[in-house]
Amino acid sequence: MVSKTEEARVAVLENQVDNGGGGAWEYLCLVRKLKLRRSDKVLKHGLSILNDPGKRSSLGPEEWTLYEQVAIAAMDCQCLDVAKDCIKVLQKRFPGSKRVGKLEAMILEAKGSWAEAEKAYSSLLEDNPLDQVILKRTATMAKAQGNLSGAIELLNKYLEIYMADQDAWRELGEIYVSLQMYKQAAFCYEELILSQPTNPLYHLAYADVLYTLGGLENLQSAKKYYASATDLTGGKNTRALFGICLCTHAIGQLTKGRNKEDKDSSELQSLAATALEKDYKRIAPAKLSSLTSTLKSLNLSS
Amino acid sequence: MGPGFVAGVLGVLILSHAAYSTIQYRSLLKITEEEFSGPPINVVVELLLGLVFCIWAALTVPGQFRSILPHSEENRVVSLPANLDFMIFNHRGKAFPLDVDLKLK
Repeated sequence: MVSKTEEARVAVLENQVDNGGGGAWEYLCLVRKLKLRRSDKVLKHGLSILNDPGKRSSLGPEEWTLYEQVAIAAMDCQCLDVAKDCIKVLQKRFPGSKRVGKLEAMILEAKGSWAEAEKAYSSLLEDNPLDQVILKRTATMAKAQGNLSGAIELLNKYLEIYMADQDAWRELGEIYVSLQMYKQAAFCYEELILSQPTNPLYHLAYADVLYTLGGLENLQSAKKYYASATDLTGGKNTRALFGICLCTHAIGQLTKGRNKEDKDSSELQSLAATALEKDYKRIAPAKLSSLTSTLKSLNLSS
Repeated sequence: MGPGFVAGVLGVLILSHAAYSTIQYRSLLKITEEEFSGPPINVVVELLLGLVFCIWAALTVPGQFRSILPHSEENRVVSLPANLDFMIFNHRGKAFPLDVDLKLK
C-alpha cells in the first residue's frame, strides 16, 4: 500500500535523484519497499552505485539485494546484457541458490525463449513443487504469451493452495476484467475486500465491476461500495464521488415510472455533487464549467 | 534528551521520594504508637505531582502518535503497489530501448 505521505516522499526523492542531488540509495530502498515499478530509474541509479566500488562496498550485505533489484529492472528495460552481468555476479556469490535460479529463468522469459524458460521453471519446481514465487511466475508466463485462459487456470490452481495471497487475487481479478468476465472478477474483489476491509481501492474496484455489470441490484450495491470508498478516503477520492453520481443516475433511469425513491439516497447524490464541485473549484477551476454541465445532464446540479 | 525526558526523570525521583517519606512516616507512627490512617497531605501532593510528570514523559518521549483514521494523510492509500510478482517483460517498452549505453563494470 502506498500512502499519501509516502507518495509525496517518493516524488521529492525522485526529483532530487534525477537532478543529481544524491540520495540514490534511499530512493532505491523506498522503491523496493513500496514495490513501485520505476525500472528505468532503478537501472540508471542502481548501476551508478554498483559501478562505484566505494559506494558498493559501503552497502554491506545489501549489495546483493541491489544486484537483484537492478537485474530485474534491466530485464524490464530490455538491457539483457546488464541483467546477465548482475546475475553472473550473484551466481558467483550464491552458487545453487533458488532465487538466482529464478532470475536466470526470468532472463529467458525476457528474451522471449518461452520453451527454455518453461524448462527452467519446471526444473526449479521439481525440487520444491509448492514454491510460491515459481508458481506465480509460471502463471505470469502464460499471460505474457497471451494465453490468458491458461493463466487463469494456473492462478486458480495456485489460489486453491495459497488462498491468502492478495496479489494473486488482484492479478486474477484484473485478468477477468480484461476478458470481460465481470462476475468472476467481482468474486476476486470480494476476496480482496474480505482480506483488507479498510483499503478503499478494493471497494472502488469492486464497485466499478458491479456498475459495469449493471442491473438494479448491482447498481444499488455499487453505490454502497462507492459510498464506503468515499467514507474510507474522507471524501478525497474523485472517482468514488463520480461513481455515486453515475450510480444514482443509472438507478433513476431504471426505476423511472416506478414511484418509490427513498429520500436519503437523493441526499447522498447531492452531497457527492457538492463535494465534487468544491474540489474542482479548489484544484481545477478551469474545468468547473464542464463539471457543472455534466452534473446537469445527470439531473444532479445543485 | 528533551524536556519530556527530564520531566520523566524528575517524576520518578519525586515518586521514590514520596515512597521514602511514607516509610519514614510509618516508622515515626510506630514510635509514637498511633494507627496509620493515610499518608500526610504533602506526600499525597508529591504523589500527584510525580504522576503528572511521569504521564507527561510517557506520552512525549517515545515519539509522535500516528493517526488511526483510515482517511488521514499518513494512512490514506492512494495507489496499490505494482504487482511485481506478476511482472511481464514483453510490453511496449520493448519498442523503446533506452538510448544510454549502460554497462555493469
